[in-house]
Amino acid sequence: MPGASRLQTLRRQISALQSDGRATHGVARFGDERIDEHLPGGGLSRGAWHALAGNGLEAETGAATGAFAALLARPLSAHGVAVWVLRRDDLYAPGLSALGLPAQRLIFVRADDDASVLAALEDASRSPGVSVAIGETDAIGLVAGRRLQLACETTGATVLLIERRPYGGKPSMRDEASPSTRWRVSSAPSQACEYGLGAPRWRLELERCRGGRPGNWTVEMKEEDHGPYPLRVVAELADHCMAAPDRFAAAG
Amino acid sequence: MADRGTRRLAAVDATAQALGLFAGQKAAEAATLVPKLISAEFDAKADLISLEALADWCVRFSPAVATDAPDVLFLDITGGERLWGGEGELMRELAARLASNAIPARLAVADTPGAAWALARFDACICPPDHQASKLAPLPVAALRLNEADAAQLARLGLRTIAQVIGLPRGPLTRRFGPGVLLRLDQALGRLPQALNYRRPSSPWMQRLAFAEPVSTPDDLARVAADLCGLLCDQLQTATRGARRVVLVYHRLDGANPVVEVGLALAGCDPAALLRLLLPKLEEVDPGFGVESATIWAQEVEALKPSQAELDSTQAQAAASIGPLVDRLANRLGSDRVWRAVPVQSHAPERAVARREPLSLGQAAGWDAARPRPLRLFVRPEPIEAPAALLDAAPARFRWRGLWRRVARAEGPERIGQEWWWLAPDQTAVGAVRDYYRVEDEDGARFWLFRAGLYGGEPAPRWWLHGLF
Repeated sequence: MPGASRLQTLRRQISALQSDGRATHGVARFGDERIDEHLPGGGLSRGAWHALAGNGLEAETGAATGAFAALLARPLSAHGVAVWVLRRDDLYAPGLSALGLPAQRLIFVRADDDASVLAALEDASRSPGVSVAIGETDAIGLVAGRRLQLACETTGATVLLIERRPYGGKPSMRDEASPSTRWRVSSAPSQACEYGLGAPRWRLELERCRGGRPGNWTVEMKEEDHGPYPLRVVAELADHCMAAPDRFAAAG
Repeated sequence: MADRGTRRLAAVDATAQALGLFAGQKAAEAATLVPKLISAEFDAKADLISLEALADWCVRFSPAVATDAPDVLFLDITGGERLWGGEGELMRELAARLASNAIPARLAVADTPGAAWALARFDACICPPDHQASKLAPLPVAALRLNEADAAQLARLGLRTIAQVIGLPRGPLTRRFGPGVLLRLDQALGRLPQALNYRRPSSPWMQRLAFAEPVSTPDDLARVAADLCGLLCDQLQTATRGARRVVLVYHRLDGANPVVEVGLALAGCDPAALLRLLLPKLEEVDPGFGVESATIWAQEVEALKPSQAELDSTQAQAAASIGPLVDRLANRLGSDRVWRAVPVQSHAPERAVARREPLSLGQAAGWDAARPRPLRLFVRPEPIEAPAALLDAAPARFRWRGLWRRVARAEGPERIGQEWWWLAPDQTAVGAVRDYYRVEDEDGARFWLFRAGLYGGEPAPRWWLHGLF
């Protein structure tokens, strides 16, 4: 339809103006319109950095946010190496490979404090062979966020920043750095299944999105085929009307 | 020093020797002969420390320095003598420096440590290559570094020079003295190798720069590093080799030698990359009163594999492009902070992962996909309370960090037993098993719990939380 194509041309012109001539690096789609239409370009933009946060105990343990980062990193690391920068040594490689991120293309780096994590992330995102870098840090300042953005745009690497306080404690004062998208991930009850536990589910909340609009979904991991789209959307709104699963199902 | 109650002289200097004193003489006798004798207590430990310090100082001539108590230093100058313009020049410079520091020394150069020791003791000279036999022949038997019993025996038998010992048939010599005499002889003549305990392995890939005036500003130190990197990489490139470890030593005026070491994941000979890794570490170098010379040498030198463009070389390309990144991170954070995970055949989950160099070529096998494993594994499992858990079932609720959580769904048990083949027989027990359960609570959070021990076992079974999905 002519109207739609003109709208797309306008959108492209505006994004070219906004990026001041810096090249855009494409997007990684989620494979479902319900998420993709909220994001600019129809997917998670590569060549940019995104922040993932969690609620409650997740801020210390980083389990759901880590799982979401691993699932996102699976399609992103198809052509290149993934680097995961940790502060606390509790990432378990067999768990990552169960989520579909094989250990052959993953490099672990352990740093002592937030500044080293951010420096390592910037270094990794500037290297040509790295396609996705994941870091766990507590707070990121405005200047550091800007540097990370510039580093990603230069090479096209994607950075996923998990907000985590690995040893607990009070949250530090954070300057409002501005990632391309900010997500909040928490766990969601999965559907009962005859044999044990079904596929894991998470509640995703897109809190802020540059050039897009926020949204709320419940997603489930696709167990089979490990295709290009690791997640399947189960429901869109937060208060969904899914059939409540059987509680207290005894183990076999 | 004291020897069975009588005090004896441990060592005498040249003037005392001229007056007729010798080592081993009774101190009382020496005092009567020379009334104005100045003597100091013999302190073996202090002597050793100063010998080590001298060895450290000698590093500027060669990285491979070995000490042989109480007063011998071996320097391996293979390949390094060209920096001074020949062995003779090196010996002259070393002798001059030692003399200017008032350290009496005798030097000799030879093919083997044994021959060098002998010549230094008795006939200081430079032995031409492969001429040890002719040079050693006129020396007395003591030059062979034998122990006292063998030396005394040889003297009693009338064998006074090495030439006589070389001429004897080997079988009867071994029968009479044991293997020691022949071992020392063969080592001196170069027929058998001798292992010395060098501070660093000797390396022919070495470059040195000496300065007319001492250098101490950080800019100058950086420029020195840049020049040395360039020289070393030229040398490596002409031989198409790359180094994996590079050591840069600054030799200060007061004898201290601050060292800067750099490691590379892939053997390389690019001076710019080396310099980028060295510069951050130069900030810790303290030049003291000034640096008079600097040496750089390469270790773990390998032939460079010529890079070849292949059609499907994604792994090789990835390795080549992230090599510099891995080097930077490893040198900045520590080489044990950057790794890749490989599977290990082990029952225990905490031992199922091993760490390897990030750029080592990949392994084929992965972990067992049928066994669910958590994303976060605690280094130490956290204790939880799980009351009223039935025999083989997961608990209906449990308490972790003070919060009660109700279990909605569970899966398990997965029994993981002991690795009995590692343990002593009395440490194994039938009941030392862990039953792992994967449970999900009402909010959807998933936990990996285990019960250590069987019901009815000796210590009551306890529940732990090992990881989070």
